[in-house]
Amino acid sequence: MTNLSESDLKVFIDAVTHYFSHLTGEPAEIRSSYLTDAAMPRFDYTGLITVSGNFRGCVYFSAPRLLLRELLIQLQEPDTCEGNLLDAVGEVANTISGNARRHFGSSLDISVPITIRGATEQIKAAVRARPFAILLRWQRYEAVVVVDLEPM
Amino acid sequence: MKLLIVDDSNIIRSRIARIALHPRLSDISIVGLAKNGLEAVELCQRTTPDVVTMDLTMPEMDGIQCIEVLMNGNPELNILVVSALGDKITALSAMKKGARGFLQKPFSDEQLADALLELAC
Repeated sequence: MTNLSESDLKVFIDAVTHYFSHLTGEPAEIRSSYLTDAAMPRFDYTGLITVSGNFRGCVYFSAPRLLLRELLIQLQEPDTCEGNLLDAVGEVANTISGNARRHFGSSLDISVPITIRGATEQIKAAVRARPFAILLRWQRYEAVVVVDLEPM
Repeated sequence: MKLLIVDDSNIIRSRIARIALHPRLSDISIVGLAKNGLEAVELCQRTTPDVVTMDLTMPEMDGIQCIEVLMNGNPELNILVVSALGDKITALSAMKKGARGFLQKPFSDEQLADALLELAC
């Protein structure tokens, strides 16, 4: 189970809203944040960051294909091939996690992103029980940031 | 002014390359794109860039290690770190190794253009 305080959680909420507003001019709207159970929310593509150093756990960003396609278009990337969709979901996960080090410090070591299409088993294996889920909407698409972080 | 772009994300490499084509940056020509530190070292030897944009979290060889290697080879190199890592210790560590600027992701087109212009002056 994750051990995040409200202010810790807000770091990730701020990071993901800032990501979309800064890059596209349209912030992500946070729909809800909650401790989730076995049915972890996920969409077509997932970018997974594993955490080490003085923390353990992981952070993932999961989004539908159409959201990532729209994001690429807004970034003026005309090539919305499978590779770039995976790249985009990994880059969002990397940016959110990297930005969180401003709050948690450099002892929050983050991995390069692992990008996954579909496949739930790899995600289930990485995330422990009852992480925090931050459900968001950008444009008309829903996505989720899942945070499983515990100080060592 | 020759620019080498180093980032493990293809879309970030493409985006930086597109921004570098802006008329404000007409003095800059792109000489290479590298997806990790090892590729950057090899491309740097072949293309002798003046400016490098450098991601930090990358496979094979990370950005901090790469800055050290590149600066040993050419202490005059202008390295702009472009990274999501938001803590001061990382920024200071990159600067100690020889980076001349630090731009945090996510960045706007204008922020990157301004940072490149500053390095190019």
